[in-house]
Amino acid sequence: MIKLIVLILAGSLYVTPLIAQAEVNIFACEPEWEALAKELGGNRVQTFSATHAKQNPHYIRARPSLIAKARNADLVICSGAGLEVGWLPLLLQKGTVDVQPGAVGHLMASEYVPVIEKPTSVDRSMGDVHPEGNPHIHLNPHNVLLVAKELVRRMKKLDSANTEFFQKRVTDFEIRWRQAIIDWEEQANFITGSSVVVHHKSFSYLNNWLELKQVASLEPKPGIPPNVQHLEGLLQQLSTEEVDIIIRTPYEPDEASEWLSDKTGIPALILPYTIGGDAETGDLFALFDRTLVLLKGALRDQ
Amino acid sequence: MKTKLAAFAAITIIACNAMTSKAAAEDITAIRAEIKQLEESYETRIDELETRLKMMEATESRTVGSEGPSNAGAGGDRRIFNNTFNPSIGVILNGKYSDFSETTSEFAGFAVGEEGERGREGLAIDESEINFSASVDDKFYSSLTAAIVREDGEDKIELEEAYAQTMADFGLPTGLSAKAGRAFWTLGYLNEHHAHADDFADRPLPYRVFLNKSFNDDGMEFSYVLPTDLYAEVGGGLFRGDDFPFGNADGEIFRQWSSYARVGGDIGNAQSWRLGGYLLSGEPTGGRASNEDTVTFIGDTKLYVTDLRYTWAPGGNSRQNEVILQGEYFWRDESGTYEDTNAATGAVNLDDSSSGWYAQAVYKFNPRWRIGGRYSRLEAANVPAGLAGSALDASGHDPEAYGAMVDWTNSEFSRFRVQFNHEKLSDGQNDNQLITQYIMSFGAHGAHKY
Repeated sequence: MIKLIVLILAGSLYVTPLIAQAEVNIFACEPEWEALAKELGGNRVQTFSATHAKQNPHYIRARPSLIAKARNADLVICSGAGLEVGWLPLLLQKGTVDVQPGAVGHLMASEYVPVIEKPTSVDRSMGDVHPEGNPHIHLNPHNVLLVAKELVRRMKKLDSANTEFFQKRVTDFEIRWRQAIIDWEEQANFITGSSVVVHHKSFSYLNNWLELKQVASLEPKPGIPPNVQHLEGLLQQLSTEEVDIIIRTPYEPDEASEWLSDKTGIPALILPYTIGGDAETGDLFALFDRTLVLLKGALRDQ
Repeated sequence: MKTKLAAFAAITIIACNAMTSKAAAEDITAIRAEIKQLEESYETRIDELETRLKMMEATESRTVGSEGPSNAGAGGDRRIFNNTFNPSIGVILNGKYSDFSETTSEFAGFAVGEEGERGREGLAIDESEINFSASVDDKFYSSLTAAIVREDGEDKIELEEAYAQTMADFGLPTGLSAKAGRAFWTLGYLNEHHAHADDFADRPLPYRVFLNKSFNDDGMEFSYVLPTDLYAEVGGGLFRGDDFPFGNADGEIFRQWSSYARVGGDIGNAQSWRLGGYLLSGEPTGGRASNEDTVTFIGDTKLYVTDLRYTWAPGGNSRQNEVILQGEYFWRDESGTYEDTNAATGAVNLDDSSSGWYAQAVYKFNPRWRIGGRYSRLEAANVPAGLAGSALDASGHDPEAYGAMVDWTNSEFSRFRVQFNHEKLSDGQNDNQLITQYIMSFGAHGAHKY
């Protein structure tokens, strides 16, 4: 028996040296961070996204496939601020030293941007609140740039041979991104000041950036599914308050926003939210292009 | 904006003047480039300053109200920094109302431990769990879970888990970790999970007869996740041999051990699976007491387990809808002597095997509502003449049980469940059981395994 155990031990250690990859292996919790890693790393990195646009990143199972991917990752990039608290810790348990909290391969994007909606006190009766603040930071393009700079710093550390390559990529990205921001902000003049109802507070950063007024959310409390009383209350509220648009992510159920839209005539809209959120949203640039086109379209129709 | 206007004006003026000479055209391009460059660097600077400002504002609002110990001596404002390192504390409450149609419940052909028996009838709180966990230092993580349970009319504290585990900084090769103490060891699917995370109010038959609900002996275990793209994990452990299916250990190490291997992966965006094989083996010198200490087994036990779990969430969004299929098969090989004092059998040699399995399906049709069905079945060993008429004599009856449940989950932290069981554990026994249950979890709440 002891022999058997020793045999298994020895056997399993024997396969360890099989991993020898030149590229930086990047594990992204969400598609937006995978897209950013691709923008900056090009063909010198290998990327994987743990979630796709149709999944609610709060509620992911620590599936076997994710454990295997995290175990082989050199760098883990996630939104942080508690968004992945239900699954990421389990994945990191099997990861390398380099991806543990505080290490170079552990990048929580929300630590590098100004986080909003930080509650002054938290209690579970308030719903699924994040004591760290709102984690959906990527929908403000200025935040994306801040994260890009940090990501490149980390990539250079992990793969110093490609320092110049990464620097070139980030400079190039920054120029294109800044130009894009100027364009987006010009386009946004048209919609600034509009009022929105959101399903969940997934769009707070977008609303903040575009100066959209977030009037209410369909969820009575964060993470608590919409219920009849709350929606009736909203209906009351909307009879006196003017709202231009109801928005939700591709992964949120449609019943509540369609119901409210039916009752009030306010258009309900699915914004891509992240890469792959709709057929046209293939990269970060497209994400904001699409979001603005959709917002403008919906507001123009009124 | 100002930069842009200025730039535009500059370009216009320059452009007008430049009409006169062709050589100036080159200048225009050069100047344009310069202006663009200026514009860019200007904007970068503004952006940077704005970000810094926002960051500083954020930090400022964070620190307001928690000023340093400016008047530490006065006492009023003093912070006790030891609190900062308090572990995460989580509490789980579990209450039930059960109604059984039969007054007794006996397994044909199996002698079971106390926790494998049917639960208490009427209103009762089940295990109330308290968990403390934290990183010990850079190399170790520790967790302690105590359950307060009602046994023999008294509230008792039962130590469910108390273990230390290596973290990545410990320096073992990546993917390898070791755990020591008492824990719900890796064996099949349910054993690793606390009962409050189960999809049904009670454990299926094989868990009740083969593991006395769960195997959490004192011991140690290592696990290694292979560096493959497909999830593959192997591991093994050494155990004291005090816990069911063993018992009364003499403290000799290496007599009880386990090994396991499992693989898993995804199929497309919406489906995932895991398959495992496990072996738990022991040659304890002491005996395994069961059926309220009337049945004793002394000898070698080998328990082979295989489990399969499959989940399908339409579109990959398990928050909305999900189907979970799960099954486990147990095969127990025993060689030793059985004695049933109730039947006055004396010690009788037995060298045979018994088996059991269950299969269950759970369907989440709404973010808050799930329904599920489960079937479990056991097959006892063929007993020699010496054990005829004892608790181990199944008399040709294979125990089986049907279960159906519906549960409502308000949030990750609270759940209500109604379950109906139809158990035919021995000949002529038709036990209809109704169990209603609530599970409340407050405080820290760790991530759940797949």
